[in-house]
Amino acid sequence: MTKRRMFLRMITASLLRRRSRMLIALLSIGIGATILAGLVTIYVDVPRQMGAQFRSYGANMLILPQNGAVLNGDTLQQALSAIPAEELVGAAPYRYVRLDMTTRQQSFTAAGTDFSQIVKTSPYFSVEGRYPENTREVLVGKEIADTIGAKVGSTMELTYQPAAAAQNATPEESREPGALLSGSAEGWSGGVVYVSAQLDENARIASVTIDALTQTPEFGGRAADDEAFAAQFVGKALPLALGEDVDALSGATVTSSAVVAALNSAVKAAAPAQPRTVNFTVTGILTTGGEEEGYVFLSLADMAAMTGQDQMDVAELSVSAGAEQLEAYVNAIQEGNESVQARLVKRVTRSEASVLSKLQALVFLVTAVVLLLTMICVSTTMMAVVSERRREIGLRKALGASDGSIRAEFLGEGLFLGALGGVMGAVLGFVFAQVVSVNVFSSSITFQPLLLPIAVIVSMAVAALSCLLPIKRAVAIDPALVLKGE
Amino acid sequence: MSLLELKNVSKIYGELKALDSVNIHVDQGEWVAIMGPSGSGKSTMMNIIGCMDKPTSGEVLLDGVDISKESSKRLTDIRRDKIGLIFQQFHMVNYLTAVENVMVSQYYHSMPDEREALEALGRVGLRERARHLPSQLSGGEQQRVCVARALINHPELILADEPTGNLDEANENIVLDLFAQLHREGTTLIVVTHDPEVAEAAQRTIVLEHGRVAREVVNENFGKN
Repeated sequence: MTKRRMFLRMITASLLRRRSRMLIALLSIGIGATILAGLVTIYVDVPRQMGAQFRSYGANMLILPQNGAVLNGDTLQQALSAIPAEELVGAAPYRYVRLDMTTRQQSFTAAGTDFSQIVKTSPYFSVEGRYPENTREVLVGKEIADTIGAKVGSTMELTYQPAAAAQNATPEESREPGALLSGSAEGWSGGVVYVSAQLDENARIASVTIDALTQTPEFGGRAADDEAFAAQFVGKALPLALGEDVDALSGATVTSSAVVAALNSAVKAAAPAQPRTVNFTVTGILTTGGEEEGYVFLSLADMAAMTGQDQMDVAELSVSAGAEQLEAYVNAIQEGNESVQARLVKRVTRSEASVLSKLQALVFLVTAVVLLLTMICVSTTMMAVVSERRREIGLRKALGASDGSIRAEFLGEGLFLGALGGVMGAVLGFVFAQVVSVNVFSSSITFQPLLLPIAVIVSMAVAALSCLLPIKRAVAIDPALVLKGE
Repeated sequence: MSLLELKNVSKIYGELKALDSVNIHVDQGEWVAIMGPSGSGKSTMMNIIGCMDKPTSGEVLLDGVDISKESSKRLTDIRRDKIGLIFQQFHMVNYLTAVENVMVSQYYHSMPDEREALEALGRVGLRERARHLPSQLSGGEQQRVCVARALINHPELILADEPTGNLDEANENIVLDLFAQLHREGTTLIVVTHDPEVAEAAQRTIVLEHGRVAREVVNENFGKN
């Protein structure tokens, strides 16, 4: 038998055959390690947990156009590609325009937005009724609803008053390569149809946007969404003739010819001077406790149709990431993209970071206290063990044990206990963290494999430290005591 | 040839002279008893011979080496290499089995060897009880394990402190028989006792009184019964 085997045999025998005392030490190390492992798991997991929680307090990043560029769905998507999809909770576009309610001679700030995103970026929005789902539906802020007496299901007529056309160019002069033309013409029963056309480098039509909100939805109104109808215009040069260059939309000849007439009379960057009025149905009343209560919300598509401008003023993003990561995303978005500007909502990100760091500091402190208590408990137990085993230690020394072997034996017992307690702690700690996580954050956590070695090493270190003083005592024991008839 | 020699050894605790200029010598292979009433200096002398204490003055020659001024670390080495100890209270490691207790002595000395440890237990008649814990052994059996432990490393000197103090007569005789056997094999034995019967088993008895050697008695009947 080697010395090492005898050493292990003595240590394990000491632990196994002298159960009660060692059980206390093991239990205190185990509990310490459990709390340690649990808190470390939570510590590591808290930013993720809290990140998700924080996201219910609103957007933490803004994307704005800059350098005179237009922010629209495409440019927004391009900017969002810098953020991993799983971290992007939502991105709500906003287009703010003053709309008049002529019947009551009032005007409101109207926001064109995407309601499916608002639900994600502003989960605290409280809606009586429902969010608009279809075209020509609005969500009315509580304040406005109170003022105008709007209820769920009532209608309201909103009017967009465009700025006067700034240019006096003729349609022919306007048809330059790359120009954006807009025009209007009277369609069915006096309703006005608005169009805009983007010309390519050969001054041919690249794309057409048709606004037929004033037309009967089942007939002429389809001109706005019928892709085949719109596609006919692409690649053609103005002016056009209905029936030759393009075919009319079946059942909507009047509207179709209005579209062609509007295109033929379209001029560069000129907004139609005529106001546009659309009748909306109120689907919900919004309560937020904030300035949103003074707004009217409609879909971005309706807003684009009323104003003839497919663009947004700002996009509010809710991103589930820490302050540093957010900063990195802001930089990534800015880089190589001159037309948009990303900004953090400092108020939100800062309070997130400060709450997180406070929480982590608290967890850290509790961990330190727990470790200290464990150390005191183990140290006290080992101290008791040493005085209980005074005679045995004296005997070992009388039999020729050096101070080194006494140290090694007690340290060995301590480390063994530490390792055992550490394994116990890592497993129980994970369970503990899981319970805390489920009860406090209502979400489960994944096991960190690194936790096992960390818990074992820390427990062994704590046990070893706790043994220092008791070992000092043990080494000081006089072997002669075994000779006196104690 | 003398194995142990104390020359003018004194041990003074404050005012108290536990040992006062003691001179004794023990030859190689001799069996010596040390007697004396409580407070006569027996324990102090035992501690000094057992390398667990140092005299205030005087020389202690063990195997020709003066150990009176050695460091305690060095004394531990000497004790481990040359001396086998037997105590009145048996003193076993209570969570180790009989054979493991014997092996502890091997472990500190050189290399644990279970076969050899079992043989030693066989010598004291406890081969069958080798796997028992001290709590499962009688007092006499425990003391016999201690004898096995003391002789396992073949020490030059076996130092026994009241080895039969806690034993009944039957067990006392077993232990004394073991001593006689060791003596025949040439082991030097020093037995501290205040039991005249135990002292009579030895070749020579040194009587201590008030820290001094009062007299030495040679046992005329040694080896005759």
